[in-house]
Amino acid sequence: MSDLAKEKAARLLKKRGSVSSLGSHDVRAKETGGKIKDSISTVSYIDEPGHHDDNPRPTVQMENTFQLAPHRRFPVLTVNDILKDVLDSYLQEEKYEAELCRQMTKTISEVIKARVKDLMVPRYKIIVLISIGQLSEQNMRIGSRCLWDSSNDTFSSHSFKNSSLFAVANVYAVYVE
Amino acid sequence: MLDCVVFLADCLVSVSQCIEVIIGGLDYNQNKVNQWTASIVEHSLTQLVKQGRPFKFIVNCAIMQKSGAGLHTANSCYWDTATDGSCTVRWENRTMYCVVSVFAVALTC
Repeated sequence: MSDLAKEKAARLLKKRGSVSSLGSHDVRAKETGGKIKDSISTVSYIDEPGHHDDNPRPTVQMENTFQLAPHRRFPVLTVNDILKDVLDSYLQEEKYEAELCRQMTKTISEVIKARVKDLMVPRYKIIVLISIGQLSEQNMRIGSRCLWDSSNDTFSSHSFKNSSLFAVANVYAVYVE
Repeated sequence: MLDCVVFLADCLVSVSQCIEVIIGGLDYNQNKVNQWTASIVEHSLTQLVKQGRPFKFIVNCAIMQKSGAGLHTANSCYWDTATDGSCTVRWENRTMYCVVSVFAVALTC
């Protein structure tokens, strides 16, 4: 039953083209016995056949923290700089080529996620979304809307352009209480 | 996570219906595209909220005119794969492409 649901979802999500998504997993649970689970990172791509989650882990029950707001807010300006830095260094000299940009989107999204994770902002989940396209006679509009807690959750965005391509990177940070 | 995956598979259907209702049969129009992206994200979000599930949502929509140019999109997420998930809907007609990504982050309650 669970396999059927997974297959159905995987079929619906699978498409030709360059849409890929990486999943990364970090679970820490302090149970009363004092056991701590190690973190595991998994990567999967939509445009390559693969599995979603080989070992579905049971959801863990977390203790109350009695914390109403994050101790440290998400540093939007620092992340803006990270985005600018990554996009400039990876794409400054590149020309648009289908295969190169396909790999580049995956690499850049992973790099940005790793650098934002390095900031070690506790209790925040990170979503990185990157689009790279060819510059031509077309027009394009990208918009997004979020349903979240606007006092704690935030986003950061940057766009880059050179003579043959453009790139737009969005980072969303969601607080987990 | 299973719950989330099945839920998102249903979202796919409602989001594609939203797109169809708003821009189905229309040609790319520079003056209107701003309005279209705003309505697509707003309606998709409303449909998702109507399902009454305990999730925070992020909906991203990109509309691009068809001109032979290529576009690549990728996303990378740091979250709990047991409870959170995402899905992407790609839609096109004769004159434009539309890519909508939905991310659902679980609320702990």
